[in-house]
Amino acid sequence: MNVTDLFTLLPLLILGGAAIVVMIVVAIHRSHILTLTLTLIGLALAFASLWWIAPEAPRQVTSLLVIDRYAIFYTGLVIAATFAVALLCYGYFERHPGNPEELYILLLLAALGSAVLVASSHFISFFLGLEILSVSLYAMNAYIRAWSLPLEAGIKYLILAASSAAFLLFGMALVYAELGTMDFAKIRELVTASPDLNRAVLLAGTALIITGFGFKLALVPFHLWTPDIYEGAPAPVTAFVATVSKGAMFALLLRYFYWSGTHHFGAVFLVFTIIAIASMIAGNILAMLQTNVKRILAYSSIAHMGYVLVAFQAGGQLAVQAVTFYLVAYFITIIGAFGVITMISDGDRDADSIEDYRGLFWRRPALAAVFTAMLLSLAGIPVTAGFVGKFYVISAGASSAIWLLVFVLIVTSVFGLYYYLRILVALYSGLAHEEAHAASGAAMVSSSSLAPALSISGGVVLAVLTILLVWVGVYPATLLNIIHSTVGLL
Amino acid sequence: MAVWPIGLYFILVVLLILGMLIGSHLLGQRHSEKATGQPYEGGILSEGSAQVRLSAKFYLVAMFFVVFDLEAVFVFAWAVAGKEVGWAGYWEILVFIGILIATLIYLWRLGALDWGSPGRPRRRV
Amino acid sequence: MLHWLWLIPALPFAGAFVLIVFGPKMAHKAVAIIGPGTIAVSAVISILITYSFITSPPPDHVFVQNLWTWLDVGGFHPHIALYLDALSLLMTLVVTFVSFFIHWYSTEFMLGDEGYSRFFAYMNLFVASMVTLLLGDNLLLLFLGWEGVGLCSYLLIGFWYTDPVNGRAARKAFIVTRVGDTAMTLGLLLLFTHLGTLNIQELMHRAQQQWPVGSTLAVWAGFLLLGGAVGKSAQLPLQTWLPDAMAGPTPTSALIHAATMVTAGVYLIARTHALYSIAPAAQLAVAVVGTATLILAGFAALTQWDIKRVLAYSTVSQIGYMFLALGVGAWSAAIFHFMTHAFFKALLFLGAGIVINACHHEHNIFKMGGLWKELPVAFWTFLIAGCSLAGLPLITAGFYSKGLIIWETRAAEHGNQTLWILAVIGVLLTSLYTFRLIFVAFFGEAKTHVEHKPGYSLKVPCIVLAALSIVGGFVETPRFLGDIHVFTDFLHNALPAVVEGHATGMSELGSELWVTLAFVIGLVVSYYLYMVKPSLVEALTAPAISKALHRFWFSDWGMDWLYDHLFVRPVVWLARIDRNDIVDSFYDGLAFISQVFYRGLRTTETGRVRWYAAGIVLGSIIFVAIVLFA
Repeated sequence: MNVTDLFTLLPLLILGGAAIVVMIVVAIHRSHILTLTLTLIGLALAFASLWWIAPEAPRQVTSLLVIDRYAIFYTGLVIAATFAVALLCYGYFERHPGNPEELYILLLLAALGSAVLVASSHFISFFLGLEILSVSLYAMNAYIRAWSLPLEAGIKYLILAASSAAFLLFGMALVYAELGTMDFAKIRELVTASPDLNRAVLLAGTALIITGFGFKLALVPFHLWTPDIYEGAPAPVTAFVATVSKGAMFALLLRYFYWSGTHHFGAVFLVFTIIAIASMIAGNILAMLQTNVKRILAYSSIAHMGYVLVAFQAGGQLAVQAVTFYLVAYFITIIGAFGVITMISDGDRDADSIEDYRGLFWRRPALAAVFTAMLLSLAGIPVTAGFVGKFYVISAGASSAIWLLVFVLIVTSVFGLYYYLRILVALYSGLAHEEAHAASGAAMVSSSSLAPALSISGGVVLAVLTILLVWVGVYPATLLNIIHSTVGLL
Repeated sequence: MAVWPIGLYFILVVLLILGMLIGSHLLGQRHSEKATGQPYEGGILSEGSAQVRLSAKFYLVAMFFVVFDLEAVFVFAWAVAGKEVGWAGYWEILVFIGILIATLIYLWRLGALDWGSPGRPRRRV
Repeated sequence: MLHWLWLIPALPFAGAFVLIVFGPKMAHKAVAIIGPGTIAVSAVISILITYSFITSPPPDHVFVQNLWTWLDVGGFHPHIALYLDALSLLMTLVVTFVSFFIHWYSTEFMLGDEGYSRFFAYMNLFVASMVTLLLGDNLLLLFLGWEGVGLCSYLLIGFWYTDPVNGRAARKAFIVTRVGDTAMTLGLLLLFTHLGTLNIQELMHRAQQQWPVGSTLAVWAGFLLLGGAVGKSAQLPLQTWLPDAMAGPTPTSALIHAATMVTAGVYLIARTHALYSIAPAAQLAVAVVGTATLILAGFAALTQWDIKRVLAYSTVSQIGYMFLALGVGAWSAAIFHFMTHAFFKALLFLGAGIVINACHHEHNIFKMGGLWKELPVAFWTFLIAGCSLAGLPLITAGFYSKGLIIWETRAAEHGNQTLWILAVIGVLLTSLYTFRLIFVAFFGEAKTHVEHKPGYSLKVPCIVLAALSIVGGFVETPRFLGDIHVFTDFLHNALPAVVEGHATGMSELGSELWVTLAFVIGLVVSYYLYMVKPSLVEALTAPAISKALHRFWFSDWGMDWLYDHLFVRPVVWLARIDRNDIVDSFYDGLAFISQVFYRGLRTTETGRVRWYAAGIVLGSIIFVAIVLFA
């Protein structure tokens, strides 16, 4: 550990430092806008520092962390997503009673945990990052203490994440017991070098590690928590859970299984195939008849993680790029979708019923247009980022001839179209007469109807995301070049 | 490696458990008197509900303990190896303690240290 | 300069986007600046590009602007690229130029309409799509533009959507052209799957290399593409949508259904001319379709009383001439007629718009009359355009372009005498219905009081287009009349010159004289019938046989009736008896199965943490078992 090592850890140090600074400032003077500003500055600094440290990459910092271009790219993605979520949080928590300031500390810490995850090359840093992320998420999920649903979500997430972490730890212990190392690269050496290993222990350990990954990524059969947490957590927090935590975990999944070489085991490949197929089918079917938009998105996220697994299964250069491209598209889309939900939720409850969206186009055409774009992207319609992402995933699958997975992906995508269209239909259907009256008139008498004050910060985020969505869909070359020159080197 | 011993072992385990359950079901005596359903607490009648609301302060103490006493373990570990780790270690522990102090300031300003004076809460809700 | 090419489609797109997003809240003035303004800049850029293309031509007279690669996966890498050669340049120039004048005209014409910004948004989108279609380097962009103009046409025909009749007309246009589009899509897929590239030029190149002349695949591809062209260009047998499309605002009719969009089919065939040169059967079909259409539509136009429908049928008929030219291999003649037609037909519609506005939205020409005194500008420009349409010798552009087509029909390798005779008869019909329209609407006694006098924005475009309707023809003249070849020479690098075959027993002069004769006969007959002895018309139409004929022609040879009985009713009947059909039950079954699965899976979502934890445990046990025993 020397000065250069410390220097390459700059993004992580800045994130951690920002969390402490924000905490002290909160202690001295409570101000929502000040906290937000400091958070954003911290994130922006951390993001900028990626350019300063890029020339040093790749660099192994102790045996725990590796700062290579892959890690830098994903750290950037994590930070950018956190930035967007922080902006969404401002409008959302401004409408709520209670202190919103601590949320930003948690947000920064969660981002730190995710950044550790994407840079880790060792079980220890893996677990450390995971726990920093998870513990922050427990509190974030339950942040609105006045409502019962967030509390429920927080507790459920706490119990389940802790138990799945126990499985993960046990898996790591088994692998360590057999190989005597916790370094990903060394695992590969040992696995390939010595044929007389006791495979049973190693495989059982790997299976339990898959449990740990599966829980965070909400893959079947570890997915059961997803809808409850998505529904219960405040909308911007859900956006964070759905994107940053999953994206960082997936980045680590790629790194661990490709680096350690365990992906080549037939049995592990089989397990992932089963998980992918089950996730795609169960996710899409469960979403079909839901009436709660947050739950629909939860189930659809299960399916989407299944899609990404298809690319993961393909293996090789193209797979890494396809996964990364898909994740970026997914980040943009999901933050956008939850951004819309955030925007039309008010201080009383989140806008999660599909009824809240009925005729949204006639009340807030811009929001409805954004939501439409996001849903079309999720469904994979051309000219959106989602289409290009799905296209890459399918071609990655096709290039490795994993036809069963590709087939299931295509068929279940059709199912997916159904529930996205259900929301779309609701968005554009006409208002009932009285409702139209109320919308055009002054007072919203009905207690169930939402009357949020739209936040400017949220609007800006949504506008930027929509532009990005179409930009990536029409002109993917920029993003592809970036991905090619960074993560291509994993 | 033969698999059948494991299978046999598994079957034996299941049989043993089944045997115990069925045996106790068949042989055991049954009654249903007035106090049968009540919990046994050393012969004293139980009183009140089990779901008592405990003061949150209790948890605060527990958390302070976790935060400060367990962190002391790290400081102690440093102190033991203070000479070997040199200045680098010194700065590291300084940062560590600095973060702890920041946390303490935060908790103090939050009013977590105001003991038993609910009259003037510091926190703005 | 050539590098500004991308701006030509980009600017109208940007204009459309701005108008869609901000239009409803904009002032009329701002809309009137953004809408026509973006088109004006596009037109200026295309003029500049034309200038630079002529003065310092790019290598091989082709300029490809590679904007970006959309996707690049496993051999499939569609470029977003623009292809500029003489053909696409000329068409782009005409489209942007004519569109600009029509946009300008619309700023006054549509004033007071509540969908003002919506109108310009659609119009801009239309121009953008059309230019994309013209400049697209590959099938993907071509298809995008093709569908884009189809969509805009639908939106604009049904612009006044509160009247169900307009909605019906819009749907009819959409569905009828869809029949052709389906054929075209099949054709494009055929080309793509057999030749393995999306790039149009590469495609043509490979087709000529890999397929022998007259090979089945080439003929199939040619016929399928012809299907698309026939639908978009309103040729037999898919012409029925165009007359009904007159339901849209008049500038729309001028822009889409006369000057630009309907010529997309002509462009498609000209662009893929290499394919047709190895598929003689398909090329002959193009000529036959064109000829049949021009005759049938000419008769139908004779009987219409709605000013816009007369013009609509004349459009169908004139595009028939273009198809005829394409069919005999006179590629540049077809494009020449496209250009002159764009000028005078746009002008005719603009003039008709002024007339209709002036007469309280009256469409019936028999209720007009005597308008030449009241609307001098409209009259004179309309007269010039009409003469150009009918082919007034020596002066008008229409004479030169049509004369060239008719001469090539006789002289070209693929031409023959029958087609030539029918084409000359077409001239007679054109002259007849054009002057019938002019005499009835503008002369005689005034039957309607004129109210709205046109303003400058209505008049100036008419005057400019009138000038072009005359001057536009002097770029290409017959041998005996100056022998100018500017137009053909310009297109020479994009379209092969006509192969002159058997010009036996006829000289170019002779052909032109026959055309002139046909024109004069048409003029004289209609003058006699509608100016001198109008009673004769009634006498002519009185007998039962001619009444029936009149009705038959009026209904466009009963095509609508035929299609109604041939396709619509059987389909409706089938749909009715097949209400709970067997195929549907398959999909119902699918839906039912997924519902059952949904119900089953839903029970796993209990909301209980212990059950969720059990899921994690169970999953782990199963996977450990799999990895150990698999």
